[in-house]
Amino acid sequence: MQYVFSASDVSCEIVVDGERRMIFDDVSFAIASGEIVDLIGPSGSGKSSLLTAFAKLNPRAHGDFALQGRPASDFTPQQWRAQVAYLPQKPVLLGDCVADAIRLPYTLAVRQSSTQGDGRRGRKTRPADLLPDMRIRETLDALGCADIDLGRAPHDLSGGQAARVSLARTLLTNPTVLLADEVDAGLDDENADKVATILEHAAMDGMAVIRIRHRPTDGRATRIMRLADGVLTQVKAESRIEAAKGGDIA
Amino acid sequence: MSGNYYSIDVWGLVTALIMVAIAAGISEIMRMGVGRTLLWSACRALLQLCAMGFIMDFVITSNNPWLVLLLVSFMLIAAVQITLSRAKGVPKGLAGPVFLSLVITMLIMISLVTELVIRPQPWYAPQLVVPLTGMLLGNTVSALAVGLSRFFESMRERRDEVDTLLALGATTWEAARPSIISSIRLGLLPTTASLASSGIVTVPGMMAGQIIAGGNPIDAAKYQFMILAAIAALTLLADSIIMLMVYGRCFTADDRYQPVAG
Repeated sequence: MQYVFSASDVSCEIVVDGERRMIFDDVSFAIASGEIVDLIGPSGSGKSSLLTAFAKLNPRAHGDFALQGRPASDFTPQQWRAQVAYLPQKPVLLGDCVADAIRLPYTLAVRQSSTQGDGRRGRKTRPADLLPDMRIRETLDALGCADIDLGRAPHDLSGGQAARVSLARTLLTNPTVLLADEVDAGLDDENADKVATILEHAAMDGMAVIRIRHRPTDGRATRIMRLADGVLTQVKAESRIEAAKGGDIA
Repeated sequence: MSGNYYSIDVWGLVTALIMVAIAAGISEIMRMGVGRTLLWSACRALLQLCAMGFIMDFVITSNNPWLVLLLVSFMLIAAVQITLSRAKGVPKGLAGPVFLSLVITMLIMISLVTELVIRPQPWYAPQLVVPLTGMLLGNTVSALAVGLSRFFESMRERRDEVDTLLALGATTWEAARPSIISSIRLGLLPTTASLASSGIVTVPGMMAGQIIAGGNPIDAAKYQFMILAAIAALTLLADSIIMLMVYGRCFTADDRYQPVAG
């Protein structure tokens, strides 16, 4: 299988009360384009740390990463994170309204410079041109957020709404790899299903998706990986049913 | 300067101290708890100011450029130390950047304001260089201390925001910018306030001094304006320099956010 993203020799170490503690060490992982991989494991096993390590956001993690066959050193940290997008567990929405919050990525230099190749003499591209209201609307509607007005203030949103707006923001940047850290944690079953469906669509369009999940398996993952005691293992097909029954709902 | 100058004798100082003592006594009676500090600070200020007076007198009469340099360097080092002790919750190892931003602004102050605008004879005229440096340092020290404290505090408060911005592909500058702006703004607040209120609410210290010493009020106003304007501009510069030099402390070499220990 041709992998779009691969990681090897990933380790993460934290210091607790002056003592070094290894969360995981020598972890390897790879994912192909279009795959959805679920990452499960007990709380505190380092699932979030692993994903932030993949996105090169974790100051305590190290490892060798490659994207589409190119080593991570070929990318600036900003280019890397634009392609390997980590979606944080806590939604933080910046801006006066939902539309601004979702367009934020397009105000950043990393996306401004990549759109200057069309002969516009390096003029700053307006975020509203790169991401029109219509596309934001479609994405929010698909996520079960049809009732969220684009002009609404982000701090008025409920926790579940904010999580989905945050997901929409990252999805609309169209990353190669999406690292979703419990996006469906605060949602009811119906909306969790909508979130899963839109991620499935994104995967069908070629996105590689890694989800940290604490909910029962929803049958959409191509593989389930379990991180426990510092070791990442693939959950066997037959034990997937057991995992689904809630053994891992920590 | 013309001769209308009224000197203060020892009894004048005693009167001032008695006033402070009475104020301290009142605060003790009302249990405000600031009496002791007030009295202690007043005595300290008296000693420090007298010492400064004697040293300045000595430097001015000896008229030696090296002595001026020595005094200014001493003030600089003290300014660095005071800035660092007043800035709360900042990482270690900021002495270098603080020193550099103070030196740069001080050199601009001396070369531009003193040598280009006032042009004293001799060029190192101690009665000009030393007080001007002192006024500038006094302002930049508080602006830097406030600015630094606010910056690192803000970066800690915005930790989730910073991580989100980085995850979306922001550069460290883009992620730190809101904290930089809010800290510079806060650091500059007293300076802009004094600029706006001068002449209406307050007679600024330097102008007051010049008038009391018998100088022409119009001249004093011109002096004062130039000093206020220069200090405002240079305080902003000092704050910007220090921010450019230290915002990177919150990030690793490959742009990961790393909370700094306060």
